[in-house]
Amino acid sequence: MDQEIVRTICYLARLEIDADKAQKIEQDLETIIELIGGLSSIDTDNIEPLYSPLEKTAFKHEDILNSDNQKEKFLQNAPNSNNDYFLVPRVVE
Amino acid sequence: MSIQFKSILELRAMLDTKAISAEELTKETLQLASKLEALNCFVTMNKEASIKKAIEIDQNAAKNSVLSGIPLGQKDLFCTEGLRTTCSSKILSNFIPPYSATAVSNLEAAGSITIGKTNMDEFAMGSSNETSFFGNVHNPWKKGYVPGGSSGGSAASVAAGIIPAATGTDTGGSIRQPAAHCGITGIKPTYGRVSRWGMIAFASSLDQAGPLARTAEDCAILLNIMSGHDPKDTTSLDVESHDLTQSLNKSLKGLKFGIVKEFNLGDLDTEVQKRFEDSKVLYESLGVEFVEVSLPNISASVPTYYSIAPAECSSNLSRFDGIKFGHRTEQPKDLADLYIKSRSEGFGDEVKRRILIGTYALSAGYYDAYYKKAQQVRRLIKNDFENAFNSVDLIMTPTSPNTAFGFGSKGSQNPVELYLEDLFTISANLAGLPAISIPHGTVSSLPVGLQLIGNFLREDQILNAGHIFQQHSEFHLMKPNMEDFG
Repeated sequence: MDQEIVRTICYLARLEIDADKAQKIEQDLETIIELIGGLSSIDTDNIEPLYSPLEKTAFKHEDILNSDNQKEKFLQNAPNSNNDYFLVPRVVE
Repeated sequence: MSIQFKSILELRAMLDTKAISAEELTKETLQLASKLEALNCFVTMNKEASIKKAIEIDQNAAKNSVLSGIPLGQKDLFCTEGLRTTCSSKILSNFIPPYSATAVSNLEAAGSITIGKTNMDEFAMGSSNETSFFGNVHNPWKKGYVPGGSSGGSAASVAAGIIPAATGTDTGGSIRQPAAHCGITGIKPTYGRVSRWGMIAFASSLDQAGPLARTAEDCAILLNIMSGHDPKDTTSLDVESHDLTQSLNKSLKGLKFGIVKEFNLGDLDTEVQKRFEDSKVLYESLGVEFVEVSLPNISASVPTYYSIAPAECSSNLSRFDGIKFGHRTEQPKDLADLYIKSRSEGFGDEVKRRILIGTYALSAGYYDAYYKKAQQVRRLIKNDFENAFNSVDLIMTPTSPNTAFGFGSKGSQNPVELYLEDLFTISANLAGLPAISIPHGTVSSLPVGLQLIGNFLREDQILNAGHIFQQHSEFHLMKPNMEDFG
């Protein structure tokens, strides 16, 4: 773990870290990665990963309309919107 | 007659005999919450709507069921329609959900009254409730001490006797560990038993909702109502559900409880060990046989969890971008700046740390070494449990290696120190198994909990064992002395 890797992860996660906290974060990540890295000593050859304890494929349900358009209700929580859309800073100049 | 420290069934009797009306009960509960505000259990109160519902219940008393008029708290990560839901984060500090979580809807449809939203670790990431944007929750047993986490506000409000029960969620111990630290009972059901729809996701393959209450019997009542198949959650189990209160009084004679060889309980504090031995003796007197079981990969459960949970967290929390809801930064330069600044201003340090770990574990070049590897070890841990349950009915462990600790005393220098607090609880989440924590005494005047892990879908057995324990002991009746809190 170094500052360059931390910068790359921050970019991927769309986060920025205060300069005064950068070193502590780097240390913390190093410690946690070391903890997780301990798993490498366990023999997992031919072991299928267990991504969910249920091991079932998500079931499907019928494609039936079960609610009305709730646009206004959902737009109410938007930090910025007009009557129809969520508004964001201009993307295309 | 005081309503403080009453169980659901005690309050039910008071309501049914008209010793108190639902309106009076709700108003007294709200007054108690206000009097004990210094505990910081609640993020948002639901005063007017609660009283309105209580009046309606009083007017329709003939239709009462077991939960009618019973005040409950909802952990602040369950969406509640029209009632602010923050996940104890700045990024959701202004979020008012347009719908309610299924678990909450089920409880409310049964007549319970949501009096408020309980404080928690931000996005449920923590074991001490110290990561909440809304401040620490105090343990009712000792001011300045943590209630455990992440469902710390739920546990503290029940332990303080404000409400008889509250909802919680448990991703690595977040119901059981605060229940243990606060001297109450809490159950994490089998993965898939309670719908996750409307629960703000932390780690989707580990998260499970459940109740925290004063007794195992109350937990059974609540779990009966919270659980059930929900077509809106694709991981919700479609299995026949039995009334969990019906099996509470079954004799334990002939049951086999496993003690995990690898946990080295001899390394624990001698008083924590002694409580555990005392509980073993009590169960033996009730006809339980103890058998040593081996879970060879159990020591890998903490690193496995701290790979999987952050990976799922980094994916789940990518939805918080300041566009459709939640905090948005002021005057961003462009869209990318809006995302970065909104998220960086909105999330606290622990949440950022976990998102970064998860992003790293899922990134190209590291995925196989960290994420896939952890999911392979997870299968080994699940297989170990399956083998153990071939020879025992339940597995018994302490819930936590320690009692509650003072604010800021753990994890500030090294986060892993705090992560190890979850040693005994994490494996049940990895394997999807049900587990309960019941109070079984105190160490240095602070409560300690006993954990019973059950086989898949065997909530009936762990609730039965918890209830019988509580019929033969008085630890669940212990009350904190709260003169420091007003």
